[in-house]
Amino acid sequence: MTNIWEKLAKLDRRIIYLFLFLVVVIPLLFPFKLEPKPMPPVVKLFNYIDTIPESKALIVSVDYTPDTEPELHPMSIALLRHAFARHIKVGVLTLQVMGLGLAQDALSTVTNEFNSRAKTNADSIIYGRDYVFWGWQTPVLVPILGMGENIANVFPVDYYGNRTDTLQIMEHLKNYNDVAILVSISGSAIPFYYITYAQTSFGVRIGAGSTAVQAADFYPYLNSGQVTGMMSGMKGGAEYEQLVEERLGVKGRRKATDAMSSQTAAHIWIMITIILGNIGYFALRRRKK
Amino acid sequence: MKVRLPLLLVLIAGILGAIPFLIPHSIVQSIDNEFRNSVLRIIVAFSLVLGVGSIIRHHVDKIKRKREHWQYSWILVVTLVVTGVIGLFGGIEGNGRLPTHIANFHFDIQTIYMNMAVPLMATMFSMLAFFMASAAYRAFRARNFEATLLLVAAFILMLGSVPLSSYIFPKLPGFAEWILTVPNTAAKRGMGFGIALGTLATSLKIILGIERGWLGGTK
Repeated sequence: MTNIWEKLAKLDRRIIYLFLFLVVVIPLLFPFKLEPKPMPPVVKLFNYIDTIPESKALIVSVDYTPDTEPELHPMSIALLRHAFARHIKVGVLTLQVMGLGLAQDALSTVTNEFNSRAKTNADSIIYGRDYVFWGWQTPVLVPILGMGENIANVFPVDYYGNRTDTLQIMEHLKNYNDVAILVSISGSAIPFYYITYAQTSFGVRIGAGSTAVQAADFYPYLNSGQVTGMMSGMKGGAEYEQLVEERLGVKGRRKATDAMSSQTAAHIWIMITIILGNIGYFALRRRKK
Repeated sequence: MKVRLPLLLVLIAGILGAIPFLIPHSIVQSIDNEFRNSVLRIIVAFSLVLGVGSIIRHHVDKIKRKREHWQYSWILVVTLVVTGVIGLFGGIEGNGRLPTHIANFHFDIQTIYMNMAVPLMATMFSMLAFFMASAAYRAFRARNFEATLLLVAAFILMLGSVPLSSYIFPKLPGFAEWILTVPNTAAKRGMGFGIALGTLATSLKIILGIERGWLGGTK
């Protein structure tokens, strides 16, 4: 009997790994549908973006790298779907050089979705008229503070090599005064720079998209109103996808929602291992006494 | 001179970095503008060149001397050169001067990035899930009151961060949100103040030349 408790208290890590692998992979192959119920921080972000007036723009700062792509990329895609469905002007940039390709991928994915359904020129999403991709600029303080003064000065040319001041969208997108909200999606500390410098110095509203592990750091700013709303982890992305589809009827592949079954199974497995470990630990402790 | 010049530069840069936030005068702001938009960008551009130069030098040296795992250095150097050339001359999605496809086989920088860099980096990061699962199993033992509190909070947050929780216990996601909004915020604010004061003190010590560890241990 002692042997069983000992085994429970000292599970071989290979067993933990094997089961974790199975509970992640099997639901990805045979997903069960779990519709997320949007939480207040996500609803706040969605509602604010939903009411952006025509004269203001949304800035999406794609500040994540490929390592956090599965968790954060669906957020960018859902945000762009929302903005384009509402005909909100969008400016995209990245403060991480590795984020360039991901921003480009999110933009091409969403614009292709909208343009394949478009029937008129007005329905289409056109570069330079409806959105602009400024590209990457470093160090982080230069674009964050510089965009408060003049965006075209910070990004004289866009990602594709066009002069930004020649683009139609830039006529009404000079600095943070023309921006309704800037959403920084990141697995690093970059959104904090936006809060510290852009929000505090220029008063621009900040939204955040973060990895689940980092989300707790944003709650003080969410409570103080310095962050308008946020998406945390894959669940946050799934909740935003849910809102975009439910309220705007915008269909598209919902990668975060698709992964919810896998994430749920993984969390449950980790919880089971913790329970087993504690059962073994207490049984052994009682026997020792 | 070797010590005084860097100290003087740090003093000037530190003051120039801080005062624009305190003095809104146009002269101060224009100096800051110039410093931030020109000087800082030039320094960073140099550091990028320095970074690429030193990584090439390090790996070329490793190949020359055939140090341990020198074969991998070839992969790094070749990859750096190939992607660099494709990125510079092939355009973003194959619309540059350099042809980046053979029939239907595309090797433009965006294709390389999405099909190589993204899966490789995502795979590396996904390993963390396995280590976290193993660490959680070993660390979360209800050994005492504090450990039990941590265990319970972790359980609620783990369950609260998946949609299944709202089907089983409809109020659990809201409770998880409360933990993050109230106790978490209280603790984070306290820590935040402490960190801010510590950062301020350390920055002042560096700017004023009291802390000189960054000079390489020179007293």
